[in-house]
Amino acid sequence: MSNEHTVKSYEEELQNLKDSLIKMGSLTESQMSDSMDAIIKVDKDSIDKIIKSDDEINKFRSVIDIQIMNLLVKRAPMAIDLRETISSLKISQDLERIGDLSKSNAKKIKPLPLDLPEELLSNLKRLGDLVIKQLNDVLDSYINKNFDKAKTVWEKDEQVDDLTNIAMQSVIDFLSKDKKNLDFSTHLIFATKNLERAGDHVTNIAETICYLIKGEYLKGSRPKGKQAQE
Amino acid sequence: MNKVKIKSKNLNVHYGQKQALFDVNLDLNEKEVTALIGPSGCGKSTFIRCINRMNDVIDICKVTGNIEIDGVEVNDKNLDVVSLRERVGMVFQKPNPFPKSIYENISYGPKIHGKGDTKSELDEIVENSLKKSALWEEVKDRLDEPGTSLSGGQQQRLCIARAISVNPEVILMDEPCSALDPIATAKIEELIDDLKKTYTIVIVTHSMAQAVRVSQKTGFFHLGKLIEVGKTEKIFKNPDNKMTQDYITGRFG
Repeated sequence: MSNEHTVKSYEEELQNLKDSLIKMGSLTESQMSDSMDAIIKVDKDSIDKIIKSDDEINKFRSVIDIQIMNLLVKRAPMAIDLRETISSLKISQDLERIGDLSKSNAKKIKPLPLDLPEELLSNLKRLGDLVIKQLNDVLDSYINKNFDKAKTVWEKDEQVDDLTNIAMQSVIDFLSKDKKNLDFSTHLIFATKNLERAGDHVTNIAETICYLIKGEYLKGSRPKGKQAQE
Repeated sequence: MNKVKIKSKNLNVHYGQKQALFDVNLDLNEKEVTALIGPSGCGKSTFIRCINRMNDVIDICKVTGNIEIDGVEVNDKNLDVVSLRERVGMVFQKPNPFPKSIYENISYGPKIHGKGDTKSELDEIVENSLKKSALWEEVKDRLDEPGTSLSGGQQQRLCIARAISVNPEVILMDEPCSALDPIATAKIEELIDDLKKTYTIVIVTHSMAQAVRVSQKTGFFHLGKLIEVGKTEKIFKNPDNKMTQDYITGRFG
């Protein structure tokens, strides 16, 4: 939107909302990246820091809630401004949930043994890297209001599903080799599932951004991975 | 979608040298509320004044093009303007009751249009009109009091009752709530919602929120041109035209 609002403070309020969301997104991305790193390295020293960073993300959620309520009550936004305001509410909810999942994954590091087999970790890492890339791309598409990029993220969730299945299978194979692995394998299964769920929230954000930009919902259901289809 | 009640085709209006409307093509659906929005001087009031030939009273005003109600040309010089205005009632920005009793405010129209020959017929028209305009309960015990003794909101509902007393098909409202407080406004809006079951309503408003609340269709005028028209929901959530978006989001310089 090239034109600015006649009321300058309205313009500022909308800009502040966008800034808050971008900051929240960037924090969520760092947290997820830290949490993934820590799992792969079985770095138990980082757990507390990652858990703490979730507080910061939750604080942004509250700030954004207040900014949105003020905008609704003061400005009764219309058209693109209405979509911007409502989308921010939805995106901040998804980001908060992603933060919760990264936090949950950090907590799963504690019971893991330090000598986890390479194959297990590499499959989990591939999934983690893809979800982080998806989150990064979707935040980029928000900042640059890039419809095509958001839609690509939406479509790529299929790959997240597929990598989830591969990672899940390698944990199950590992578990079936020796029942002693049961304890921490369960944690790895949950961690894998959490990454898949985080991917779903990224897809929600992509959908929201597509609506924000074009004012229409994406048609049809998003492509799903093999297992998810069944 | 209801059938088209009023249709304008290449409607142009000049006030002397100044052109106020440029080739307006707009369809208004029957038993629906159409809101017309746009900055002051954009032509929205001029447009609705074409529907009941109110512009006839302005000497320098020249209307060309077509405007039809149920397929009948309104601009036809042979058309009986009095019967046109019987079919197309109007409510203005400022409530303007006649300096007469509440009863006479309502009975005047039917009388001059030859409706309600007997006192009991007139009584019935007055009661029905006041009931339809949601004013009956508030005034039924003081019908002899002057219309001007009512509050602003009541006066406006009296004007609406007066408009519907002659059983019109269309009601034009030119900023009917701009002089009213929020409660009186809410009552009028609720009334509009009810009246649209019977009448085709066109409302000019400066309040976007009001347009969203009361109308099913919205037209945006700018500098005498109809820029965009569409379903109200679409116009206020996702308009096609950038000028419409700029106006409704408050980005007009």
